[in-house]
Amino acid sequence: MRASLRADRGGLSAEPWPDCDVDCQLGRLQLPATDSISASRDSRNNRTIAWALAQDNFTQSVTDAIGRYGTARVGLVMGTSTSSIDRTEVAYTALDDAERFPQAMRQPLTHNPHAPGDFVADQLGLGGPRITISAACASSAKVFATAKRWLNQGVVDAVVVGGADSLCLSVIYGFHSLQLVSPEPCRPFDVQRTGISLGEAAGFALLTRDVAASECVLLGTGESCDAYHMSSAHPEGLGAQLCMQRALADSSLQMKDIDYLNLHGTGTRANDDTEGRVCAELLSSNTLASATKSWTGHTLGAAGIVEAVLCLDALSTGFVPGTRNTTDVEADFSLLLDSQQRTIKTALSNSFGFGGNNCSVVFGKT
Amino acid sequence: MKQLFNIGIAGFGVWARGVQSTDEFLQARKTGFANLQEHEFVNPKPSAIPPKERRRAGLMINLAVEVAHQACEHAGVDKSLVPSVFASAMGDTAITDYMCRKLARPEKLLSPTKFHNSVHNAPSGYWTISAENRAPSSFVGGFRESFGAGLLEAGSQAQAYGTPVLLVAYDIANSAPFHDIEPVTETMGVGLIITDAQTTSASNLAVASCAYGLAGSTEKTNRTPSEDALSTPENSALNTLASANPIGGALALLEMLAGLDDPDDAQGQTLRFSAAPEAYVELKF
Repeated sequence: MRASLRADRGGLSAEPWPDCDVDCQLGRLQLPATDSISASRDSRNNRTIAWALAQDNFTQSVTDAIGRYGTARVGLVMGTSTSSIDRTEVAYTALDDAERFPQAMRQPLTHNPHAPGDFVADQLGLGGPRITISAACASSAKVFATAKRWLNQGVVDAVVVGGADSLCLSVIYGFHSLQLVSPEPCRPFDVQRTGISLGEAAGFALLTRDVAASECVLLGTGESCDAYHMSSAHPEGLGAQLCMQRALADSSLQMKDIDYLNLHGTGTRANDDTEGRVCAELLSSNTLASATKSWTGHTLGAAGIVEAVLCLDALSTGFVPGTRNTTDVEADFSLLLDSQQRTIKTALSNSFGFGGNNCSVVFGKT
Repeated sequence: MKQLFNIGIAGFGVWARGVQSTDEFLQARKTGFANLQEHEFVNPKPSAIPPKERRRAGLMINLAVEVAHQACEHAGVDKSLVPSVFASAMGDTAITDYMCRKLARPEKLLSPTKFHNSVHNAPSGYWTISAENRAPSSFVGGFRESFGAGLLEAGSQAQAYGTPVLLVAYDIANSAPFHDIEPVTETMGVGLIITDAQTTSASNLAVASCAYGLAGSTEKTNRTPSEDALSTPENSALNTLASANPIGGALALLEMLAGLDDPDDAQGQTLRFSAAPEAYVELKF
């Protein structure tokens, strides 16, 4: 990801998805072949997780934490929207005469909303509390809120947070049914924006109370609901505003203290309008704000963790990603288009989802 | 075993075969849940959702919203302010079935309403809209351990916020192909108001210390085998109902609560719910 951002390489492509005729751009992962997943847990979503867990020595870091704290003291808060529905879709194309899945696809651990959490806990050997949060596109932002509570209360000594969503027919045709899928690479906050580009991802972080040993810290989280509509944001952005304010209050910061804002910024007309209105009101002129779904596509339940990792990378390297594809900005706040090198000390990430579910997360530097 | 925090339970709601309100559950307990199996399951129609929306929402969403409202009313908490945690083993298998059948056909046409109802936090969305509630709300999945996992999360939130938290657990009866994955033969939903045990905004039916433990070999040596057992309802008719749904363990808690005349009556009782395949959440009252 670091290399792609710095080389100005976006992740979206028009290559068609198998058995899919929707004109769209996708942020698709080239997943390596793997034999490390048992037949009972095989799915594209779990393969995405296995691929992410194998990176950056993450699994070893978790093993070290288990060694230090004991297995029962290391928890897991996983976020997902799709879970392994990709596998359920495939199983439905192979129903037998009795309407049953073929034997090989009767996978209890896979065809359920907790599949990613169960898989990660199994892969990492975690014995602490484990849950899978599903709050649509806010899922893997909310994992930080739960993890922070668990750490503060001593429920755990360390906690793996993560998110995983994979491309599948449900999300492509689902967003297509709402007429939200753009045929071109998404252009958040552009006058000409035509909708979202979907993507897939998995990402993880290991949180402990050992702040001194860390380069970056989780400063605060804010959660809210719109209480307005299942799939349309509150027109005045009431829920968005509430969760940003709650995250700032939890961090004992004000908006002017935020150096970088990673916007929800999906590229739909309504979402960007709403978030733009809230940002015009709350943002101060010194905050860099960008919409990085233009690089990755909207990875739905994984968007929270992907954008958290982007914020953490910006904090530790000073590389602040811009907004791809957007040229003619329609927003009453300053949107960062070109990536920039600037030392930042605080970053806030917004994630808003169906069901009117919102979450903001604030990170800082030690 | 690790002591976590104290929790209170300030109210509950329930919808299952033969019991369609808090009061009906309290009454049914007095008669030993004698007639549960004589009743047909009735679909809930939560009055907080307009009739047209109810039809679009489907059984699982209506079930969750119904018991959410019941629990708040029983505890006397402000519906517009209470944070909420929703938990289910399988989610809305009726919608999953609809989506996957449509997508297995060449034209792949989906209803936009069914699509937005397919997110696992759909009951949370309908609940917050119906209650005009902008507090935090989550769906928590823990597969067969969803009730215990949800209880832990709701307890943790109650400590963090210092306010009552609504926990809603439910699963709907399924048929092939999901019957092979996790057979659910009875639809049921349970709502609970969880407090931090000290809160003054709601009076507790009972107060417990909440602990998390592993059922594995490392901690087993100092305990008698019976201590590993998970809680099930004592009443056999209620136990039959409970065993037909992954969140059925919650009925053991409701059964205990329904038998209390006074919070102190609960003292000395211990209930255990699975929170992960080898782990449990324990409530020691």
